[in-house]
Amino acid sequence: MPLSTPVNSGKIWWSGDNPGILLKENEEGPWSALALFFRIVFTPAGRGNALFLYENPNAEESLPNVHNVVLHDNEKMAHWLADNFIGALPGPFSESPAFKELQYIPLTECYTSGDTSSRYKQTVKAEGIEVDLIWDQLGTPTALELSPEHVGTRSHNLFNLLIESRDASIVVNGRKLPGHVVPRRQADIETTTGFVYFSEIWIAPQ
Amino acid sequence: MAEQRVTVNPGVVDWSGENPGIYLRETDDGPWVTLGVFFRVVMSPYGSGHAMLVLDEPDTGKGWPDVRNFIVNDNDELTRYLIRDYVSGFPSFRQKPGLEAMSYIPLDSVACAGDPQAEYTETVTARDLSARMTWSDTMEPMAVEVTPETSATGRHDMYSLFFEAKQAKIEVNGDRLSGNVSTRQFFGKTMSTAFLAFSETWVQPA
Repeated sequence: MPLSTPVNSGKIWWSGDNPGILLKENEEGPWSALALFFRIVFTPAGRGNALFLYENPNAEESLPNVHNVVLHDNEKMAHWLADNFIGALPGPFSESPAFKELQYIPLTECYTSGDTSSRYKQTVKAEGIEVDLIWDQLGTPTALELSPEHVGTRSHNLFNLLIESRDASIVVNGRKLPGHVVPRRQADIETTTGFVYFSEIWIAPQ
Repeated sequence: MAEQRVTVNPGVVDWSGENPGIYLRETDDGPWVTLGVFFRVVMSPYGSGHAMLVLDEPDTGKGWPDVRNFIVNDNDELTRYLIRDYVSGFPSFRQKPGLEAMSYIPLDSVACAGDPQAEYTETVTARDLSARMTWSDTMEPMAVEVTPETSATGRHDMYSLFFEAKQAKIEVNGDRLSGNVSTRQFFGKTMSTAFLAFSETWVQPA
């Protein structure tokens, strides 16, 4: 619940929507595919959209062999996210070999469809690439207020809205990538690796 | 003793999205002469959607085309919910005849442009109507978190990212509507009556 002082004294780091899908073929195995989408309203590098897609997280290569790519409409912002946010968070997006070889490609279309009560879809297109991120079996929207000890950076407060998905998929040029979502524990909450995060506000406490 | 955060807000999430506004007066102690508010909703009981509300004559009980009192939208059910449960309770809109009489007009297009750190616009078109809201000369963004005691509805918890704007205007079919940005008491401080509000989540307290 909100604290009694309405205006948070912290400095805004970034804000926007940040849904993602992390897939494994079995719970003990490696990540088989990863996707993290950003619809950014504020970073120090501006606003825009960016999709971080790891078709094969374990391959230290990109196109033309594998879609380990960042589709974006603001390259400066996309690099800012990679350098300052993804790169600062421990976990599969920064630790996978694919992270080192991501190719940055301008997107041509970016839109959502469906509904957050049943099936929600984010579509991103670039020349020769069409990606659908699909979240099914959606849970109850939950407002979270995370303190630094509960976030990956260990140094920010985070407000956001979580809608978990128990069945999510990544489709690249009509081909569904292998794997399924697995259980995940975040901030003492049992959830999954399929998540629709809306309205994230990352705050550096003063 | 410092207040402790509760990680999971136990309330029911009503909606999430963006809700910037521009409220204009001729003089600082005068009545509102023009009111504008925009919604980009990503999650609600009625789905997602957009709406731009403009009251060129808030105290006149007439709608478009007699008076420039209208709400252009792409989700009628969502829009009527937002007016009934939210806008009609906002202090600046309470009991305004223009709100009751405004016309509901289907939207043809909606687009944002610019950057919140410089100049930012929302533009909608509908049949013979084009309306644009512009915010400029913005201040550093800040996070707000309010309880029912300080929220605009008096009934909700709310989280948001706010940019106050020192300059703002509303244009309809190229005509700039009357009034100037002023100040008001909000969130326990003196704030501009023009603001960008992103990453906003409204919660019915448990």
